[in-house]
Amino acid sequence: MEESPSMDDHQDSSLVVGVGLCDSAPLLWRLQDLKTVRSLGLVGALLGSLPRTPRQNQRLGRPLLLLPEEEKLLRDEEAAGALPGQNQDVGGVELQRRFEEDQQRSFEEQSVLALEDRKSALLRAMTSSHTGSESGAEAVDEALRRRLEALDHSFTFPQSAMAVQLSTARAGLSYCPEARAHLQANWPIREQNSPRSDARCQVFRDLRGRGFFLTSAGKFGGDFLVYPGDPLRFHAHFIAVCLMLDESVCLLDVLAVARLGSNVKKTVLLCSPT
Amino acid sequence: MLLLWVVNMADQNKTDTEGKLFSEILSPSELFAARSRSHKIPVRGQKDFFPNDSDEQRQRLEQSLNEHWSLISEERVERLGNLVKAIWIPSDQIVELQSPAGKFWQTMGFSENGKQYLLPEEALYLMECGNVQVFYRDLPLSIQDGYERFLSSATVSLQQYQVFGHLKRLGYVVHRFDPSSEPSSYARQLNLPQSRDRAGRQLKRKRSPSPTATCSYTEAPVEPTVEKMEEDKCSLEGDHVKKLAASPDIQTATTSGSDEGRSWWTTDDLGASDKELHHSPTSRSSRWDFSSIPFPDVGSSERHPSCLAPPEPSLLPGDLTVGVCDIASWRRKINLRMVKMSSKEQKREEDKRRRRWDVNKDREVRRCRNWAEYHELLARRQRKRKGRPAHLWNREVTPLHDPRQPIPTGELLDKISVIKSTHLLEGASRLKGSEEWRICFNVYQPDTVADFKKSNPGKPYSRMCVCSFDGPVPDLRVIKLLAFQSGDIPVVFAVVDHGDISFYTFKDFQLPTDVFP
Repeated sequence: MEESPSMDDHQDSSLVVGVGLCDSAPLLWRLQDLKTVRSLGLVGALLGSLPRTPRQNQRLGRPLLLLPEEEKLLRDEEAAGALPGQNQDVGGVELQRRFEEDQQRSFEEQSVLALEDRKSALLRAMTSSHTGSESGAEAVDEALRRRLEALDHSFTFPQSAMAVQLSTARAGLSYCPEARAHLQANWPIREQNSPRSDARCQVFRDLRGRGFFLTSAGKFGGDFLVYPGDPLRFHAHFIAVCLMLDESVCLLDVLAVARLGSNVKKTVLLCSPT
Repeated sequence: MLLLWVVNMADQNKTDTEGKLFSEILSPSELFAARSRSHKIPVRGQKDFFPNDSDEQRQRLEQSLNEHWSLISEERVERLGNLVKAIWIPSDQIVELQSPAGKFWQTMGFSENGKQYLLPEEALYLMECGNVQVFYRDLPLSIQDGYERFLSSATVSLQQYQVFGHLKRLGYVVHRFDPSSEPSSYARQLNLPQSRDRAGRQLKRKRSPSPTATCSYTEAPVEPTVEKMEEDKCSLEGDHVKKLAASPDIQTATTSGSDEGRSWWTTDDLGASDKELHHSPTSRSSRWDFSSIPFPDVGSSERHPSCLAPPEPSLLPGDLTVGVCDIASWRRKINLRMVKMSSKEQKREEDKRRRRWDVNKDREVRRCRNWAEYHELLARRQRKRKGRPAHLWNREVTPLHDPRQPIPTGELLDKISVIKSTHLLEGASRLKGSEEWRICFNVYQPDTVADFKKSNPGKPYSRMCVCSFDGPVPDLRVIKLLAFQSGDIPVVFAVVDHGDISFYTFKDFQLPTDVFP
């Protein structure tokens, strides 16, 4: 059994990742799942807008789309399970009631916080403006006390000022506890059994096993981009093109992909599983 | 016993953290604190080249990852007053607004029966931007719910939504394409086709119409549908090429460009080439040995025999025999320099030439045996001068065009052309629609947003067809079909590859002809 201090690392790679299907594409939504998958050396591709700055395409946010090879690897390692769907009919009214209560509680807490915030702002303003004069110290205190009292009576926190969360994953919805559960590794087999996808899978496994990080390379004319380390810190060194061992390749295609590779300063790897 | 106890502890830990580990719910204090969040994204520094297990790299990786997770984990927090409330209606696959729309209404959504609606992809995009909160059965939907419920083959696929979102984030106005609301082909006919010159000039100025921030390519022009004749039919037949023997007659003839007896396409396999050399000279080998092929340098100033030896009889066809060739007269005509004469000198030369000319010295005239033949000769020469030589015009096959008839160069080129030029839309109206290939979006440029009117959007900047690298490449038939459906707006293929989108477009192109009418 593992010792507790190193529980974090152990936890990461032993957790079952929750996968949700969207238009038959495997997506990861929960932050912890993205971390788990990264710790296994799988990169995936982010598809959504980044919450902080949604109107740009340089950095995207969740969900994370898995490559078919990544999905298969997770499934084979028994590290993937199906995310529970939203229960449409069960306990609808009860959930609504709880949601309303949560919102009300949040509103009240935020009102309190807002008032405190206003008071401390007032305090800062009044004390800083009177730091110079020494004579009316008691007068200042008295004025401050009166102002704070007035604030207590007059302060209103309108409903429209309340901050609400627009959850990315269902795991962020207060009324969806099942979305936050640890899952069983029950992800089904969804492979397309073609010799080409087989070749791709084997090549992916092999290169991943050697410590490389792989992402999709469609726009580079190949199957995978191969990074020597985490893509956040390293550039890709190779473009991997997967072929069956007995597949015949047109020489012009080899020349074209070699030319493309040299244009983007990457080495082209022709990979075939034996 | 001890082991069991440890196991229980682990389970205990698990149930405590279950729910917490995967929880992404913000507390009210976190929600309140979000108002003072930064809105800037940290700039990514330079990457390292190669991993080297150093602490420095490990630290930088940790820092990058932490930055990455903090950005990814940040949840959208908005003031309730800034949010537009809406509800999802699955029966109609539509989102109905419950509070007045914001600025986005200028380019998105539609009204019906006094209510405001958003298309599913528009609603999902606005959810991701934090402008709209969509409810279903009085409970708010997460972005995950939006993706899983709003995107399907009935509405917009995930790949199509990726393209939609990408373009929207760049500022484009993106609407669904409706083929039935396009002008008819007659209406389009009223737009006159462009002349060739303008097309050529336009090509130089215009680049691909795709958004500049992403990679966009212009593909090669479309092949004409008429069967192409082999233009580059190689006339070099291997059989005609033979090695010429080093004949004993030609001893002093120099060879041009001989390089150690190596033929121009000899491979590294020296053994093979050596074997070839030892073959009999008349063997039909496809290797040329320049050292043994005499190329007499007639132009050299060295003293040479003024006669060329006859070629090898075996090289000549049939019973043809060729004697020695006297090249003395030819050698006199080379290495001459043009003498510049004044006009008076030129006139004097002209007169001298005319005086020397004697019709009786004309060999062709001497061959005429009677006046009839002489007249025929004159007529023949006349016709030749006037451009209708007998050997061209008095047979079954005559030239395509009579040079005596005036014709503009452009028309002449058309007349003699074998390959007829075609354009992309030729035959396109007869094509039947395809299930898998269709235009999904109209795209309007970002700077038109201020004046944009949903009721009258005007002509789109381009139209999008979404496909993926896993699928087939669009063939000519598909390109013609979509171009026809699109009218005069270019069709852009948005190819989705997991995270990336590449934009491609095919441009109709006429080869330029250097003709000025």
